[in-house]
Amino acid sequence: MKDLKHLYYFEKLLEDANNELVREAQAQGRKCVATACENVPEPLLNLPGAFSVRLRAPRTGSIEMATYYTTSFLCEYTRALLERAMEGGFNFTDCLIVPDGCTMLNRCAENMELLRTMPKEHFFYEYMEIPLKADDNGLALYKVQCQNHILNPLHEKFGIDISDAAIREAVAQHNRVCELVRQIGEYRKEEFPRITGYEFHILTMATYAAPKDLLIDRLEETLEELKTRRPDEKKPYRARVVLVGSEVDDVDVVRLIEDCGAYVCADRFCYGSFPGRDCIELTEDEDALTQVCRQYLYRGQCPRYMNQNKIQERRRYVDRLALEYRADGIIYQQVKFCDPWAYERMVGTHVLREDYRYPVLSIDRPYTTGNSGQLRTRVQAFMESVELKKLQGGVK
Amino acid sequence: MGREIGSEPLGNFYTNGKVRKRREWRGVRDTLYDYTRWLHIMGILAKFIVKPRNIKAFFRYRWMSNYLAVPMMVDRHTQGLRGPQLRIAHLQLDLVAEDVALLLDKLFRGDRRIGNDKAFSDKVVLMDENEMTAVMMGFPTLKGLSRESPSVYISVLLNQYAVCHYLDTVQEYGLPGDVCPMPAAEAGMSIDDDFPVLGACAIQCNTTCDGSLLSNGVISKRLELEDGIPCFQLAAPLRHREDDVQEYAAQEIRNAIAFIEEKTGEKWDWDYYFECAKRVNESTRHRLEWLEINKTDYPQVLGSSFALYNETNYMAICGKMPAFVEADRKISALAEQGYKNKTKVAKEYRHRAIIWGVQSHFYFDFLVWIQNCWGILPLTDMLSMVSTRILSENDREQAVYDMAWLTENMIMRNRTHGGYKVLLDELWEFCEEFRADTVILWEHISCKALDGMHGQFEEKAREKGIHLIWVDHDLFDPRVITRQEIRDQVNRYMRTVFREEPLDPTLEVIHDEHSW
Repeated sequence: MKDLKHLYYFEKLLEDANNELVREAQAQGRKCVATACENVPEPLLNLPGAFSVRLRAPRTGSIEMATYYTTSFLCEYTRALLERAMEGGFNFTDCLIVPDGCTMLNRCAENMELLRTMPKEHFFYEYMEIPLKADDNGLALYKVQCQNHILNPLHEKFGIDISDAAIREAVAQHNRVCELVRQIGEYRKEEFPRITGYEFHILTMATYAAPKDLLIDRLEETLEELKTRRPDEKKPYRARVVLVGSEVDDVDVVRLIEDCGAYVCADRFCYGSFPGRDCIELTEDEDALTQVCRQYLYRGQCPRYMNQNKIQERRRYVDRLALEYRADGIIYQQVKFCDPWAYERMVGTHVLREDYRYPVLSIDRPYTTGNSGQLRTRVQAFMESVELKKLQGGVK
Repeated sequence: MGREIGSEPLGNFYTNGKVRKRREWRGVRDTLYDYTRWLHIMGILAKFIVKPRNIKAFFRYRWMSNYLAVPMMVDRHTQGLRGPQLRIAHLQLDLVAEDVALLLDKLFRGDRRIGNDKAFSDKVVLMDENEMTAVMMGFPTLKGLSRESPSVYISVLLNQYAVCHYLDTVQEYGLPGDVCPMPAAEAGMSIDDDFPVLGACAIQCNTTCDGSLLSNGVISKRLELEDGIPCFQLAAPLRHREDDVQEYAAQEIRNAIAFIEEKTGEKWDWDYYFECAKRVNESTRHRLEWLEINKTDYPQVLGSSFALYNETNYMAICGKMPAFVEADRKISALAEQGYKNKTKVAKEYRHRAIIWGVQSHFYFDFLVWIQNCWGILPLTDMLSMVSTRILSENDREQAVYDMAWLTENMIMRNRTHGGYKVLLDELWEFCEEFRADTVILWEHISCKALDGMHGQFEEKAREKGIHLIWVDHDLFDPRVITRQEIRDQVNRYMRTVFREEPLDPTLEVIHDEHSW
């Protein structure tokens, strides 16, 4: 296929946390609100005068300093973030709002605070309590936490408008980006897809790592371009897979999987588009904050939601994606040392294999995959097994 | 050899076999006392075993055989003790043993595979391991029973290799080996279908860590979807010191109580609740008194028996059993007497230490070891530094918040959750209060909450001039780090940094790799 016009631009954007668009937004006088978890409602961080950046540590090399502070048993994502913070890689941010989503993320942020890594004079840290169940009590907590740990501090420290109208405006902008991502993603359903999983991953990640409003033009152009893009005549993959699991912000992960002959047709992982790029529907009969929180709460696919209904719903969600995007198999992955996804991957693998009858590859992986031969071998073997099953007319 | 503390070289008792060579000679009076307590423990065991259903349980559940090692466990935890400390330790450990025997007996009575007493089972509410049982303080006719405590948690105290099989099971199922072995072993036991099956319903809780939260999902999958036992997930806030989470926590308690009422048909009894709350308050006052004594030059209530007793009393009992308050009173009397007489617990006091972090279960008697081998006084430990809030004894609305507070402040989770202040900053405050010069920091290698503060502990200890001795271990799995490897970490520090010789050189290297 012909290269996408803006792909190189998006790739370059993802090479640095303090990317070109972040600098542009800050030059406009907007405040950069950093976060590190999908459980922090993004529209609330993107109120007029502010923009969000989901932290990542592209081109991570040594993480030895962070390993000293947190030992080699913490997940590499959190260690890479801490290392990058100590190196000054996040000095551009104006505040950090994180939930106690997992212990490691919490410790990562706390170390950043204790080590005084962020130099800006008015920099502040906020730690949120995120509900562990989707119910009315959880919703009440979510609202209080968003009010006390996002809206009030942004207003008090930076004078950000936190009115209902401002939230609605931020949601509208958020939804525009989500619609574009979703429409682009629709092309992954095709037999001969006109966008690769890798390309889609790059576009989606950019929407987490850069100010959304500054991306809209290029996303719209990309969508237009895709409408007439001619897919390869020869089928470019051996099997279609849904990639499920913990945070994937390394650009090489999806590329490596697709190099092995798979096609990543749907992305259910932190930094993926499901459910992170679902639009938020607002009505006029209820305040916007409640509605935003409710939708984050009920659509959340994070393994920290602990009630059995929600756990079962996570399996059904993957099944629905696999059916809708016509996947032949599922790859469950986790960043090594991630406790929540270790359990979720273990049970999810068995349930989707035994109850839903999908071929499932279950892997843990380093934060930066690079050209991991081990991972490549496992994906290649999985591709062969999926092909064999198809030839033998076996399971899906 | 005799009645004086430290007169027996304790390391010589170890034979590299399962049991020790002989019982310790502590002088006529203490030996006789200790021997009668040993007989008492044997009596508890015999009384338990004579019931046919309990014999059946020994054959059904592989973890039950560990209970044959109860007398050995008590001996390990009372090593070298004399006088009031020996009596305090026995009061604590014997009562815990009695309570566990009762718990096991009830579990097997209701267990569908063993006693299958349906009427009894319908009165049982299953509680999580390591879970505060405050929500059961108002249900006098119901039994809140934990399956995980006797099968997983206590088993490892009895036999260091007790849950290795379940760890292997869960890893074969696909769980990485780098997660905490405690919830992992529980998940393994559930996968192996090796828990008793009983109860009208279950209350699970996000107790200590992400692992415990997630392993609950594995357990409830079997409980709810296969055994048909409805589960309520009680979500306790993680940032438990924050005011803006308390209403959520209180509502979770209300919801949990409503769930129990619905599933069992029983009604919450406020009179019984306040009766229990009074006992919790009395226990808290006793605990505070013991800690005050431990701040002086003559600490009296310390070591692993204190930690185990406190854990049982604080969380599992929660005021529901009067016997524990009676024991508290006796312990306080003994402690006061010991303090007045300036009774020492070891031959020589060299260092005053706070024991921090999550301790190894397969080597819980480590606290007695540091005392006897190196003269380090374990003044208190992290898991014993729990809530000291006095509960309301008559206000129903406040009582809900009290129960929520207790649930949030379960043992271990009150330090592993809640931000760095409760784990890091408060440690140094305790060092000052207890006049400790040393911190023994259990670094459970898979505990992300502790690991995540590793560097901060190092730097702050250096700043404050406190000796920090790291003790790495893998909680439930002695195959990763053995007991001797744990001891060697202390031995190395004592010899190379303090340049000291052991009080009892026979304890420096012990051949207990095969011991229970």
